[in-house]
Amino acid sequence: MLDPTGIFDLIKTSLLFWEIITFAILLFLIIRYVYPPIRDQIQKRQAEIEGAIDEAQKTREEARELLAEYRRQIEEARGEGRRILEDARKQADAQRERTKKEAREEGDRIVQRAREEIGRERESAIREVRSEVAGMVIQASEQVLGRTVDHDEHERLVSQALDDLEAEVAGSSAGGRGTA
Amino acid sequence: MSSTPTLAQLSAEKVREEIIHTFEAGQHAYVHLSLFGIDISITKAVVFLWIGAAVTFLIMFIGSRLLKNRPGAYQVLVEEIYGFGRNSLAGQMGEEGKKFFPYTLTLFIFLLVLNLIGLIPNSYPVTASITFTLTLALLTFIITQYVGIRANGLGGYVKAFVPPGLPLKIIFVPFMFVIEWISELSKPLTLAMRLYANILAGHLLIFIFLSFILYFGTFMAAISVPMALVLYGFEIFVAVLQAYIFAILTQVYIEIALYRTEH
Repeated sequence: MLDPTGIFDLIKTSLLFWEIITFAILLFLIIRYVYPPIRDQIQKRQAEIEGAIDEAQKTREEARELLAEYRRQIEEARGEGRRILEDARKQADAQRERTKKEAREEGDRIVQRAREEIGRERESAIREVRSEVAGMVIQASEQVLGRTVDHDEHERLVSQALDDLEAEVAGSSAGGRGTA
Repeated sequence: MSSTPTLAQLSAEKVREEIIHTFEAGQHAYVHLSLFGIDISITKAVVFLWIGAAVTFLIMFIGSRLLKNRPGAYQVLVEEIYGFGRNSLAGQMGEEGKKFFPYTLTLFIFLLVLNLIGLIPNSYPVTASITFTLTLALLTFIITQYVGIRANGLGGYVKAFVPPGLPLKIIFVPFMFVIEWISELSKPLTLAMRLYANILAGHLLIFIFLSFILYFGTFMAAISVPMALVLYGFEIFVAVLQAYIFAILTQVYIEIALYRTEH
């Protein structure tokens, strides 16, 4: 022992001897029994985390595809709906047009019929008035003359007079309403 | 005699004894043993060496038996130590160097535990012993040379000590060879001295500050105790730092030897 104080203890064989033995045993034990399980554990967890990340990525990919699919379906459905609506509107328009046209035609027909009816009524009225007037005139003439007159001759005269009158009326109101 | 109670003021010689008492106590042999005439007594230093080794092993061993997939705090600590060894200590120069991290990491934990145990009062700082640090440093040296020769071949390894492209080869090649070998041989010495001196100096400083109380009187406690506390705190930092430096330099030396011919 070079230094009795132990501060500069060059070279203490006991410490040296036991140090080498102790350190060798410690190294052996730690390298053999401590590091492998820790390494395995870390590797295992790493693998698990990587697996989880892969899994999550796959799931996300699937979700994205699914979303795209749903979006497409919604888009399709929306297009379909729009088309159906369009069709319905078109059909409704056509229906309305048709109905309108039919109604107009019907109205026209009714008006036409009414006009014809009126025309006919008027004709017959005029005819009636004429024969009435002719009758009345003949009767009046008979009373004035005091004798019977030739009925046919009379009627011809009256008829002519009425025709003249009519023509006169038509001439005075020319451009007015046409005769039926 | 003074009426105020004070510690007995001691002579300089007595104070000196008090200061170095811890280191002297380390020499105390509990069991006297000898092997072929070589003293291998179990001294206090050896006992604390064993305690350090046991604590090192138990910390790591218990940690390695409690491994779960969802780690608790203790497992995280052990795994962090392992990860620190694998990723921070090793691989300074290349992937190949990572093969040696079990050695350097064990060295780091062992030195850290010994440094910290040495801070417990009435223990013995094993790392403040030049025998201890020099042995580990020489172990590093042996591993370094072995790895260097195995990786590069004996000729390649020796030749690589001389940098290429020297002028005046006849003079400079032997010169550089000697210089480089001096540098190589000084590595284990500096490694050993750095750890030894740092830990020893730290302990001595604490003891010296406290011994002022014995030499100058009780009033010195007002200065000595806070200073000793500050130094003690600093010593904890030094304990970690020096263990780290020793381990990482060992790793770096091994890796330099490994890649000797590549630069």
